[in-house]
Amino acid sequence: MSRTMHRLLVLGTIFVLLLGALSGFAQNEPVTITWFIGLGTGSQPDQLEAQQAVVDAFNASQSDIVLETVVVYNTGAGTAPADALLTMIASGEAPDIVGPVGIDGSNAFDGQFLDLQPLIDETGYDLSDFDPAAVEFYRVEGQGLIGLPFGVYPSFIYFNRDLFDEAGLAYPPQEWGAPYVDAEGNERPWDIDTLTELAMLLTVDANGNDATSPDFDPTQIEQWGWYQQWTDWRGQATFFGAGSVVGPDNTAVIPEHWREFTHWYYDGIWNKHFIPNASEAASDLLNAGNLTPSNRLAMNLVHLWYNSSAGTDVNWDIAALPSYNGTITSKLHVDTFRILNTTEHPEEAFTVLTYLIGEGAEPLLQVYGSMPARASLQDAFFAQLDETYTQGVNWQVAIDAQAYPDVPSHESNMPNFVQAKDRIAAFTTLYQGTEGLDIDAELETLRTDLEAIFAGTYVAPEEEASS
Amino acid sequence: MTAIGQSDRRFAPKHRGSGMERSLKIWGIIFLSPWIIGFFAFTFLPMVASLLFSFTDFNLLRPNDVQFIGWANYNRLFSDPQVAAASGATLRYALVALPVAIFAPIGMAALLNSHNLVLRRVYTTLFYMPYMVPVVSAVFIWQGFLNPQSGWLNQFLASIGITGPDWINSVDWIYPALVLISLWATGNAMLPTLAGMQGVPTELYEAAKVDGANAWVRFRRITFPMISPVIFYNLILTVIGLFRYFDIPYILGRGQGNPGGATNLYNVYIYRNAFTYQDMGYASTLAWVLFVVAMIVTLILFVSARFWVYYGGERN
Amino acid sequence: MAATAIPAKTTVVQHTSPVLSQYVRKFLVKASFTLFASILLLVFLSPFGYMVATGLKNQQQISNGFLLPMSPIEYEYNGARYPLYNVPDNETGAIHQWALVTRGREESTFIDPANPEAGEIVWQGRWRTLDPVIRFDPQWGNFIEVWQGLNFPRVFLNTLVVAVFGMIGTLVSSIAVAYGFARFPIPGKNILFMILISTIVLPTFVTLVPTYTFFARIGWTGTWLPLIVPHFFANAYNVFLLRQFFMKIPREQDEAAMVDGATPLQILVRVIVPQALPVIIAVSINHFVFAWNDYFNPLIYLLGSPELWPISVAVQQYNYAFGTKPYLVQATSLLALALPVVIFFFAQKAYMRGVVITGVDK
Repeated sequence: MSRTMHRLLVLGTIFVLLLGALSGFAQNEPVTITWFIGLGTGSQPDQLEAQQAVVDAFNASQSDIVLETVVVYNTGAGTAPADALLTMIASGEAPDIVGPVGIDGSNAFDGQFLDLQPLIDETGYDLSDFDPAAVEFYRVEGQGLIGLPFGVYPSFIYFNRDLFDEAGLAYPPQEWGAPYVDAEGNERPWDIDTLTELAMLLTVDANGNDATSPDFDPTQIEQWGWYQQWTDWRGQATFFGAGSVVGPDNTAVIPEHWREFTHWYYDGIWNKHFIPNASEAASDLLNAGNLTPSNRLAMNLVHLWYNSSAGTDVNWDIAALPSYNGTITSKLHVDTFRILNTTEHPEEAFTVLTYLIGEGAEPLLQVYGSMPARASLQDAFFAQLDETYTQGVNWQVAIDAQAYPDVPSHESNMPNFVQAKDRIAAFTTLYQGTEGLDIDAELETLRTDLEAIFAGTYVAPEEEASS
Repeated sequence: MTAIGQSDRRFAPKHRGSGMERSLKIWGIIFLSPWIIGFFAFTFLPMVASLLFSFTDFNLLRPNDVQFIGWANYNRLFSDPQVAAASGATLRYALVALPVAIFAPIGMAALLNSHNLVLRRVYTTLFYMPYMVPVVSAVFIWQGFLNPQSGWLNQFLASIGITGPDWINSVDWIYPALVLISLWATGNAMLPTLAGMQGVPTELYEAAKVDGANAWVRFRRITFPMISPVIFYNLILTVIGLFRYFDIPYILGRGQGNPGGATNLYNVYIYRNAFTYQDMGYASTLAWVLFVVAMIVTLILFVSARFWVYYGGERN
Repeated sequence: MAATAIPAKTTVVQHTSPVLSQYVRKFLVKASFTLFASILLLVFLSPFGYMVATGLKNQQQISNGFLLPMSPIEYEYNGARYPLYNVPDNETGAIHQWALVTRGREESTFIDPANPEAGEIVWQGRWRTLDPVIRFDPQWGNFIEVWQGLNFPRVFLNTLVVAVFGMIGTLVSSIAVAYGFARFPIPGKNILFMILISTIVLPTFVTLVPTYTFFARIGWTGTWLPLIVPHFFANAYNVFLLRQFFMKIPREQDEAAMVDGATPLQILVRVIVPQALPVIIAVSINHFVFAWNDYFNPLIYLLGSPELWPISVAVQQYNYAFGTKPYLVQATSLLALALPVVIFFFAQKAYMRGVVITGVDK
């Protein structure tokens, strides 16, 4: 090669290197971090406002990162947010942060989340405001620490004070583990039997007969006693105790207490009638699936996030759950933010995440109705709630509920999670909508199907309609 | 007697030199060009891509781990009992829905075309209106309307002494329910049919009346052939639409095929594989097999058109 | 005919009555036919009645068990409002209208609005068996709530822009393409036409990811472009329909114009389009309605850009999982329906006139 060429080559290389170095300095370009909302809550109008305020505050507080949001309305009727996220990931346009999202919403994206431990170690992020058990909850074997505590939603009974008053019945206990004290002052253990009796007394037909009366007319029910809203069979059955359908070696098992629950609930719908069936729950009478505001449901087992849906028109309060065979279980939902491991800017994403669970946490938790995982924020949180729910709710029930979490979680992962969840959802629809089933037979079918799904060999049977 | 519209070829220009022919071809291609360009820009590549996906194990969550697996998806399809079940469900639904979808628009158009109807514009608008209701709303409405407890339909039936079924949750009644819902979209097919009917020269009817033909004969001999191009259009679109029927059965069946797999129509099954199970490879396979079958059926229908579709401007 | 001669007088007399009875007959036929159509219409629109009724309700009215938006008439007493019921007196059996203060299973207390100083009346019986005193109470305010909550003017404008531009695009291009298919001896025309049809057959979800990726890569996500531009390249449904109609138009008219020296474009504009006006209007309406209601495409392409959302996406905020407000969804849909219905109604005028111009319906 000639000398000139050689020189040119060297100059050219230096030039390119310089350019590279310069572009390194030109990292004054702010990094855009995209925050995807919709897998869990976060798409209601008041929430949108609050979220935008947090985003604006964050952007104003520094100039290295520009935070943007992508919101997909979680309508519950379809899977639009998950689909949209899938489409984004599949086409290489994945967002950086998703949330708020719970365990269930995250399972569908299992394996996609970034291990935060290295970033925590690198930045020395302070975890002392969290319960260590709460932090460990997010550590998954083989994946690392894939979230940090943000909000918790314990579950309990939302009961309608007016309906209890009308029936002349004492309210359920608001102290966990305490007995039920009736209107005359007699004490009874607060268990499933007592609950059943109460629920039947609170189920009334158009003539004023309750479900314990021989004149009760199940075709003209105007008020029901019990419901477990917006969850599937695993969530409902956990009422009788935590459990898992995944057995050793990925076999499928039906826990005995879950079998008991299914019989009790099925009986409650179709024989004793104190629980509305699927059509009744979907009818206008019961407010098209959101029962408490209809003022026709005495007791509803749901989580703390239900506050905004329960609304302010009905005189509700909260109470402790009864025990089953001596054990009380209050299933737990948690909310967190997660970083997708496809992110191109992990440090910046982590900065945003710690902001969201730190400085930005209070307003967000407020609109999500989520109890702060940070001990320091809890008092203010409940004080705020009292301003909205002026009927006087005993929030101590919620705080104390945390002592009875369901371990393993009713949302825990399963092999071939999405298919398994689908199959369970089908079962849930079945027992809530169809009369005259042989529950044990259906449970066995469920079990064998789940086992095949876990093994990856699931093949749907011909439905009766085609034979 | 030549029917009105058939050009008398005796008077066609005799000197169609190759120049004229060629310039006509060029003009034709010019007019087709927007579609050709758009096809290659927006449609062709995604179609090819989806065909390629069918030979891979493309999972939406792991777009970079795509492996070529040859015919494995196709083998799976032909031994998948859910495919048989979904196809069966689609066929069973089609049997009920197809006749309704063909004849309801004709009936409605005939009704609106009649000179005996006063305020035709108002009625046409009102009959068309349900089609303009967005799907999101329509599903809500029908779910509420068909609710066995508080829905208007069952309450009306109860007032005349009939206990209405649980439309959406009953295996026997879900297809009639879907057909009822699809009736709301009749306006869409009604409109071009009406346009066709209004294009029929009244002199034909008058001549027929003079000859003593009654209303039914007039319909069969005049109206039907004159609107046969539109009916053909409706037929093709309805058949294709049945292959593609998705949103309402998906939402009503809550994405699980309720009740009893009846709403797990073929297209719903494709969607579930694509987005619920994230197996885009298999979903693409299902879609392309559907495509082949649908195209064959469509081709057969097009060939059959020679025998019953009458175009005024062409010779058949 | 019979050999008997018919006296001329009677034939003269018979002239007037047939004419009269003809009018009467025509009127009766029209009236009964219209009645029949009306009944059919009422049945057809009954779910729509449910839509309107729901759109005019509020939360309480949805679950109070009445078909129409009804509210109990209330009486204010001691700072709270209590609903009125028709209560049969325990002693006399006369029906009073009293306000229910405290509910109880077997006995309840009421207050008599006509006589509140008498204090609370204890009534034996089951209040659930009583008829409430109700009034028709449609919540017109729902429309205002929706108007403000969704920023309706902007959302409306967004929808209008997408619908109108798409409509123009599809009209221009589909007419041209259909004309090509209908009238020209293009090599491989039938194959091309089948390819056209094939584009409707493939389900959209499987092409969704590649299509979305394409638009993302060229930077069109977050804009209206993916919703409008593709329509400028013809739409298979419209081309198919227009082609069917174009093929019905007699070629002689084309040929006559050609003899006069018209170019194919002029033939299209002067001969074909005027005769196909009804179907062209049908196509326009069709596209407009489709674009007005399209939900999935705007959802996917306008993620993260709420200021660009059309009505169909914006209304989702009343349809969320944890607090569905069906009455607001219906109110929004009713508002959204208003414009297309009005447009449709007036479009028919052009439609009918189009028929007269072609001189066909004499």
